[in-house]
Amino acid sequence: MLQLHDLSVEFDEGFQLKHINWQIQQHQHWLITGANGAGKSALAAVLAGYGEILAGSTSRLPTTIGWVSFEAQAQLIQAELKKDDADILDVISLGTCVREIIFTNETDPVIAGELIQKFELEYLLERAFRKLSTGETRKVMLIKALSCHADLLILDEPFDGLDQASHTMLQNHLTHVVKHTPVVMVLNRFDEIPDFISHIAYMEDGQLRHQVNREDTQAFNELYQLLHLKTTHLQVPDSDTDNTRPALNPKEPLVKLSNICIKHTDMVLIENLNWCIQPNQHWQLSGPNGSGKTAILSLITGDHPQCYTNDIFVFGFQRGNGESIWQIKQHIGYVSTALQWEYRVGTSLANVIISGFYDSIGLYSKSTDQQKHIANQWLELLGMQGRGDQPFNKLSYGDQRLLLIARAMVKHPPLLILDEPCLGLDDINRQLVLALIEKVCAAKETSVIYVNHHAQDRIAGIDHYLALEKSADNA
Amino acid sequence: MSNNYFNTLPLREQLEQLAKCRFMHMNEFTEGVEALKGKKMVIIGCGAQGLNQGLNLRDSGLDVSYTLRQSAITEKRQSFKNASENGFTVGTYEELIPTADIVLNLTPDKQHSPVVAAVMPLMKQGACLSYSHGFNIVEEGMKVREDLTVIMVAPKCPGSEVRAEYVRGFGVPTLIAVHEDNDPQGHGLALAKAYAVGTGGHKAGVLMSSFIAEVKSDLMGEQTILCGMLQTGSLLCFDKMIEKGMDAGYASKLIQYGWETITEALKYGGVTNMLDRLSNPAKIKAFDLSEELKVIMRPLYNKHQDDIINGTFSATMMADWANDDVNLLGWRAATGETAFEKTPAGDMEISEQEYFDHGILMVAMVKAGVELAFETMTAAGIIADSAYYESLHETPLIANTIARKKLYEMNATISDTAEYGCYLYNHACLPLLADFMKGMDTDVIGRGLASDDNGVDNARLIEVNAALRDHPVEAIGATLRGHMADMKKIV
Repeated sequence: MLQLHDLSVEFDEGFQLKHINWQIQQHQHWLITGANGAGKSALAAVLAGYGEILAGSTSRLPTTIGWVSFEAQAQLIQAELKKDDADILDVISLGTCVREIIFTNETDPVIAGELIQKFELEYLLERAFRKLSTGETRKVMLIKALSCHADLLILDEPFDGLDQASHTMLQNHLTHVVKHTPVVMVLNRFDEIPDFISHIAYMEDGQLRHQVNREDTQAFNELYQLLHLKTTHLQVPDSDTDNTRPALNPKEPLVKLSNICIKHTDMVLIENLNWCIQPNQHWQLSGPNGSGKTAILSLITGDHPQCYTNDIFVFGFQRGNGESIWQIKQHIGYVSTALQWEYRVGTSLANVIISGFYDSIGLYSKSTDQQKHIANQWLELLGMQGRGDQPFNKLSYGDQRLLLIARAMVKHPPLLILDEPCLGLDDINRQLVLALIEKVCAAKETSVIYVNHHAQDRIAGIDHYLALEKSADNA
Repeated sequence: MSNNYFNTLPLREQLEQLAKCRFMHMNEFTEGVEALKGKKMVIIGCGAQGLNQGLNLRDSGLDVSYTLRQSAITEKRQSFKNASENGFTVGTYEELIPTADIVLNLTPDKQHSPVVAAVMPLMKQGACLSYSHGFNIVEEGMKVREDLTVIMVAPKCPGSEVRAEYVRGFGVPTLIAVHEDNDPQGHGLALAKAYAVGTGGHKAGVLMSSFIAEVKSDLMGEQTILCGMLQTGSLLCFDKMIEKGMDAGYASKLIQYGWETITEALKYGGVTNMLDRLSNPAKIKAFDLSEELKVIMRPLYNKHQDDIINGTFSATMMADWANDDVNLLGWRAATGETAFEKTPAGDMEISEQEYFDHGILMVAMVKAGVELAFETMTAAGIIADSAYYESLHETPLIANTIARKKLYEMNATISDTAEYGCYLYNHACLPLLADFMKGMDTDVIGRGLASDDNGVDNARLIEVNAALRDHPVEAIGATLRGHMADMKKIV
């Protein structure tokens, strides 16, 4: 049916849609979604024939379109104002009345009459269109679009400005319309998504990033979380005000590794490494497999036995002088694939997050009400609200990773170590994780060490780099 | 020759010591590792317990080093590598023992006498000697220098688990004790508690016991239900299935992994839960078989307990030690030659439930063994808490070892003391059950009951369920598992 093939389109404001490939088959009803400014309405407008095609092609665009959007609404009002200006008679023109706006050649008078009744607009029919309120204007637009026997209905935020009764009425009406007319809907909010929507198109930066069949529950949930994260004003939840973590001296480095050597019986993994991490520095650590990235990090976290044979200063402790690893770990949030493997306990989502306060795998202490509250804030942030009691080990891999990242961040640690946090994650989840990391970097409370293979894979906010090479000994 | 310490005590004190066992409250550990802070801890031996306890203690901020015999260091044996590759200082007895405030003896039981004899003269005045098993003190009657404090800290799990649980932020249940004859400064308990905190044990629960209660219950548990019953059961059940023409691979797999699967149910909900996993007819069958087994085996359990209490067992075993382990090594070799040991597990799928349904006799054996061991121990004056830990609680651990390594390796993994007792039990129990086994068929081991009718008599089912739930091991088990669950929210 309708097809956009590698289509690039430019709009008046210079906004461009790039390389859109999209097919709408018969009996499909699409939702276009994405963050503000992602190009959702632009994509809908392309279906209505707007925009200047720069490259690519379209086929089978609909001939009759019912289009409801702020843009279409603005155009009508603009046209009305122009009429007024153009009126050379020295009388006050009130412009076109609602009846004339609704009943045109394309309008099916029976359907229109029925909708006027349902929207309770009878008393407005003789009033001037441009005197209507936003909500009333929206209703007029909807009646026009729904009564013109369109080949395609484009409903861009159709519920905006509608009162609850009209909202419900419209939803009910649409369930009948979709039996014979395909619908493309644009919505910012996922929770308003009508049941008849069968497919979801996710826009970002003028590109159609994801196309998801609604029956694919997992992809749908991930998209939901991504959208949630992108569209919510991201705020990292509060820290636990009752925590007993001692304050760090802001003038001291968080970590100072001097002349580090890590040796195994038959090889030297790291030799003479020096690394100093100051508060509020964000680091990227990269290097090929076997270059010792994880080994160095485990010296910092205290998980490597040779942390006692090296010159390591962390969080005010010169290692090996009577401090316990729990005194070290309380300052660190940590995520890695290995942690996810080790984190195989039959506990709840909320408890996994709360275990971050105790640096434990599983929860062995009684959590406070405040900690439970913070865990719920995190679940909401991740788009998992209300799922706190579900078992962790039944989650998808990507969701588990997200939870472990929340676990690492929950105590607002001075140092957050993310060892290849995106490894094994699909595109949607990767974007979610990166958005969270950028947020934490920007918050100025936590220093981040981000580890990956590729030095060129950069994250906004990270400004220090340490690239390891495979030692000759270990080649 | 050695002088059995227990036998030197008057009955009054014997009974008092046997009955010592108390589950300690979390708030008894608020001092943390303070009592050991800045003290020099030197561990003798770097096997699984030695290494992993040392890693935990060091991560708790304590000063840990290892001492090994000169030969182990010169030849760079595994124990030397374990310690040095993990960044610990390693030195000879002469180098390190004189510097130690506390010496942790984590060598195998059999070496305790020579090791303690070697280190004691080197230890500084007023230092502390720690054991993880009381055999040397109680059975061999080791006399420790009067100025030294003697304590015991015994994590009730294999070394690898001691470490794994610590790293997760938890610990393993741990038994501590102070040898009252050697507590000149009265700080033995403080040191033992700090040591338990250093290994993470306080988070999982600490039992305050005595050297005597630990030894007499530990020996009884390991040689009867834990190792002995599972070994005898494995051999009898396997041979029965082969005799009845079943596939050898299936029989081998059903037994190797069956113990672990059915005792997993035991771990979570005691004997009751293990039998509740069976259908009603199978449950009644297993119950009846176990009642029969208990009658046949009770004299054997009594004999083991009596020999342990009066020292006959340890004397016999030590005679074998003195005789170059002739019996032990002979029995070990024979275990390696059994048909079960030599038949690899088949690659067929066996579902979790099938291990129960096809292993009714195995369930009956575990029930009979657990209850007999518990009944015998408590009858001998050992308190129920100890008896529970040394019977029911540890059975899944041994079952897990059999699942991973079968019998030969299981015996090589456990202590020599446990292994010796296991063979004694096995040799007595195999002929004891010969007649009983003649009546067994594949409905109770291998194929399961014919499933066309699951009907049972109401009155009989009520009777069986009540008997299961009323057994004293179930009451103490529910209490102790409750303590554990309070601490370990997530099991």
